Parts: sequence; structure tokens; C-alpha cells
Amino acid sequence: MASIHMQKLVKKYGDLTVIPGIDLQIADHEFVVLVGPSGCGKSTLLRVLAGLETIDGGDLFIGDRKVNTVPPSQRDIAMVFQDYALYPHMTVRQNMAFALEMRGMAGDEIATRVQQAAKLLDIDPYLDRRPKALSGGQRQRVAMGRAIVRDPQVFLFDEPLSNLDAKLRAQVRTEIKALSQTLRTTMVFVTHDQIEAMTMADRIVVMKSGVIQQVGTPEEVYETPANQFVASFIGSPSMNFMPVTVEGERLALSDGHTLPGTADLARRVPEKGSATLGVRPEHLAVVPKDEASLMANVELVEPLGSDTLIHFTVAGTKAIARVEPDRRPRPGDVVPLAPVPGKAHLFETASGAIIH
Amino acid sequence: MASTSSTTAVKALSFRIVMWLFALMTIIPFGLLLLTSVKSKQDLFRGAFALPDYPHFENYVSAWVDGHFGIYFWNSIIVVVPVVAISIVLGLLTGFAFAFLSFPGKKLIFVLLTIGMMVPTEAFIIPLYYEMRYLGLINSYAAMILPQIAMSVPFATLFMASAMQQLPKDILEAAMLDGAPRGMILRKVIVPLMKPSISSLGLFLFIWTWNEFLIPLILVNDDVYRTMPLGMLFFQGRYTVNTPVLTAGAVLVIAPIIIVYLIFQRKFIEGLTAGASK
Repeated sequence: MASIHMQKLVKKYGDLTVIPGIDLQIADHEFVVLVGPSGCGKSTLLRVLAGLETIDGGDLFIGDRKVNTVPPSQRDIAMVFQDYALYPHMTVRQNMAFALEMRGMAGDEIATRVQQAAKLLDIDPYLDRRPKALSGGQRQRVAMGRAIVRDPQVFLFDEPLSNLDAKLRAQVRTEIKALSQTLRTTMVFVTHDQIEAMTMADRIVVMKSGVIQQVGTPEEVYETPANQFVASFIGSPSMNFMPVTVEGERLALSDGHTLPGTADLARRVPEKGSATLGVRPEHLAVVPKDEASLMANVELVEPLGSDTLIHFTVAGTKAIARVEPDRRPRPGDVVPLAPVPGKAHLFETASGAIIH
Repeated sequence: MASTSSTTAVKALSFRIVMWLFALMTIIPFGLLLLTSVKSKQDLFRGAFALPDYPHFENYVSAWVDGHFGIYFWNSIIVVVPVVAISIVLGLLTGFAFAFLSFPGKKLIFVLLTIGMMVPTEAFIIPLYYEMRYLGLINSYAAMILPQIAMSVPFATLFMASAMQQLPKDILEAAMLDGAPRGMILRKVIVPLMKPSISSLGLFLFIWTWNEFLIPLILVNDDVYRTMPLGMLFFQGRYTVNTPVLTAGAVLVIAPIIIVYLIFQRKFIEGLTAGASK
């Protein structure tokens, strides 16, 4: 087991700098999820950790050992790939045993380890099958089994659930989470799916354009996003954003409509007087008309069973509110809404940084 | 609607007719060769397409015995097997280097290999003759095996490098992370995945080496070292008048190629279409 420490880590492809300098500390036994949109550098960072990509600047430590130039095979890490990367000509047993054979481990010890891992992952009935005779979920388990038998210091997962259907993805997600609690190994998991990040991580690292935007627990990145990007990326549906100005002691929307009960937020707006108000759909509550900040003219209703999403436009901006499941307004209805006190956020218009 | 479907049907029919014509153009000469090889001399005068009263398989016996095809056949095998085997092994090693390794002069060597494929045998056969004479290898199997390995390696390298680059990158990276050294990755992971490509390459090299004419013609002049195509030339000189025995000899020359193709056909097609779909 080991911690991971990145110091000013740089990765370039020719003239293109993909990671301009990352500082990140991952503790021993921690489950960290790197999340961000496509092209944000999260998979590159994982590959740098694995040693599959070279480091162009800074330092990388696994445990106390600097591993900048250490080849992948000597980093004592195991990686689960997006496309499973199983050896198609080998059986499940041979796939799982391959790394151990490469280490020169004794046959009995290999057999014991493979059997234990197969039992843990519930794939022992398939040990003599080839990968093509397995379903997507079973292949994914074999890929994890291949990593587990090695008993590595660090597990790396590169979007391992993206090839699975929605139901299976939820199931394997739970299994990986349970596995992390059983094995208590340092795990770094890459995904673009914020639900995977929120449900699995001890800490989430949100990335954009090779730069870390925020590092925090799922609760922290959800409740107190560092900037507008994090606020929009974490949470589904995404946070609603509305440009606001200060009118007297209240915030006012671009159509001039002032928002009652926003004196506290208005005081935070810098002197220039404009900012972006961010409210999550679940933090817009239906209130009596006289207490309403917004009168939402309903355009679309999405009943999800557990709750209902109302789509509306406010001051020229599309917005969504999540309301109770039994509330079923029709398109054209007007629903009085107000932000839940203390749950709205303000962001700087130019930089997108949060205004505390 | 009806006219659209009838136009489509006419187009499909025309396409089929053209395809059939091409197929017949390919099959008829070969069929005639087989047919003639089992006719008697008298049967020939009854027309090219006339069937014999009974198949004259003795033509094959005559060709095999009188044409010394027994010797030529084994000579061809003795030359082809090492050329194909060694070229595949070398192609795997050099292909691996070109596909995955960085080394100085990689581009230059790649260009040289490509040029090596373009130069016809006629262009270097005279210096090659002097070289072989200097080495004392004229009239030996080595004189036919060594140059043909050298001629096969450029193609084998480019073919293998291209096929290896199409292998899923993740699998090779997984093997690296599993701690497999390069040689082990090549042996345990790449080679098993490359079986269709290896079969295709083997078949190409087999056909080219089996049919090679100029190198044995110039570098070997002793009958005990002659290969099948060369044997056919000398056989033709002796049996110009006996067409059925000549054609039987021709069938004996091409039969091994057809048999090898039929054995490897499935893998060969897999190899040709490798990487076309996931």
C-alpha cells in the first residue's frame, strides 16, 4: 500500500502541453476519482502514473520512491483498462496468472491467488473460459481479478465502466466500491461520469484543460464548488446559472426582475455590481406566490418517478427545478419558486471563481 | 417505384454477369490445364474441351519420373521451408522494432527496406552471382536460400510492423504492466494474436519463393539442386511434343501452392481483413 505524490507534474506532446503542472497528494488507502470532460487530461495523468507516458517536468512519488523514470512493470501498480485489455487467446485463469508467472511465482501460489481473487469477484465458474465467451460485466470482473491477484500498491482504473450498460454499470460501481473497502488499497479512478465520482470517491479531483479545478470530498465539491466549472460539472441536472446585478439591496436578473430575500448574497457582489447566480435544480423550492423569487413559466416536465424536473426560462436563460414527484405542472403553468436559503452560490462573471 | 426496383435488378444482374465473366476467365485456363493433363495425345486432336475416354493419370507418373520432378519437388521444399520460416521469424523481430521501438536511423532504414522491395531481381542478379561465387556458394541450397531470405525480409518487416500496429494498444500496455519483458510480450502476447497475419505472410512468401525462377536459374546449374519452376523449363525443352505430360508437369508445379492455400485459406482471409472491423 502506498501514497502518491505529484509535484509540479508536467506532460507534453511535442509543443502541446496537456498537463501544465499538477500538484496532488493521494493518501495511502484513499479512493480518489479524477473527473472531468473529454480532453481534460485525466486519462493522460493516469497513464503518467502507470508509467505508460513519460514525465516532461516535475516529480512523481509512489510511497517514498521517486518513480519518474521507473518502468511500468517496476512501479507495483495494476491498471484496469476501459476496453478490459484481456489477452483474448488465454483463458480467464491464464489471464489472471500471467503477471504472477512473469514474476516467477510458484505454480501453487499462483493457483491459490487466482482462486481467491476469482471467488472474491464471483468469476470462479468461468476460469477455463476465454474472454470472448464472457459478457461485458464478467470481462470487467476478470480485468479487476487480473489486477487483484498481483496485490499491488496502487490500483488504477481508466473509465472501466464506460462500456457497460446502465444497469450493469450501477452494479459494477457498487462492486468496485465494496472491493475498495475490502482490499484497502490506494485507488485512482478516472471517469467523465460525475455520478460515478460522487458515489465512489473518498475525494474527487475535478480537472479541466489539464488543470485541477478543485480537490475535495464529494460533499465539498457539491456543496461548495470552487468555481462555476466545478459547479456545472458536478450535479445532475447541472446547476442553473443566471447573470445578476445588484439593485438596492437585492439581486436583480437581466430582465430587471429583482429577487426578494437575496440581500445576503447582494452584499457579496463586488463593486462592479455584476455576478452569476448559481442555484442547483434541487435547491429551487416551490413556495407560496407571495414568497416567490421566480415565477417559472413551465415549458417542459420530466417525471422521473422519484422526483419531477420542470424546465423553464428565466431572464432569457434556460433553467431546471427539481420538485416533489407528486407535483405535475403542465407546460404553460406558472410555478412560484425560490432558492432554498443558504444554498445559492455567486460566481465572478469574468473568472467564474466563487464569491464567498 | 416499380421502375426503380427493375433498374436495381438490371444493375445487379449486369454486375453478376461481369463477375461471372471474370470468374470464368480465371477458371477456364486452369480447368483446361487440368483437363489436358489427363488426356492422351490422341484425345488432344478431338478439341480442347473434349473429354478423354478415361483419365490418363499415367501422364503424372511420366512427368514425375521422366521430368525428375521428384528431385525438383524436394529441392523446392528444402529451399522454401527455411526461407519462409526464417523470413517470418526475422519479420516478427524487425516488425516489432519498427512498430514499437525508437532507434536511431529508423526512418532511413524504413526507406531502405521500401527501396529493397522495389528493386527487381534482374537488377542485382549479376553482382549477386559474383558474390555467391566469391563465397563459394554457387550450386548449393544456400545460394538459393540466403538471397531469397534477404529479398523476403523487407516485405516481411513492413507487413509485420503494419499488422502489429493494428493490435489493440491496451493489450500490449497491460502486458507491460504485468511485468512481461519485450521478448515475452512478443512471444506470449503478440505472436498468438498475429496468427492470421503470420499465415498470410507465410502464404505470400511460400508462393513467391516456390515460383522464384531467376535466382535458381543463374546461381544453380547442377540438376540435383534445381527447383520445380526451373525443372519445368528443362522438362519443356525435352517434352515439347507431349503436351499432356507437359501440362501434368505444370500441375505438379502449382499443386503445392494450391494445397497450401486451401489449408491456410481461412486464416489467410482473416489476415487480409485484419483490423477492418472490431
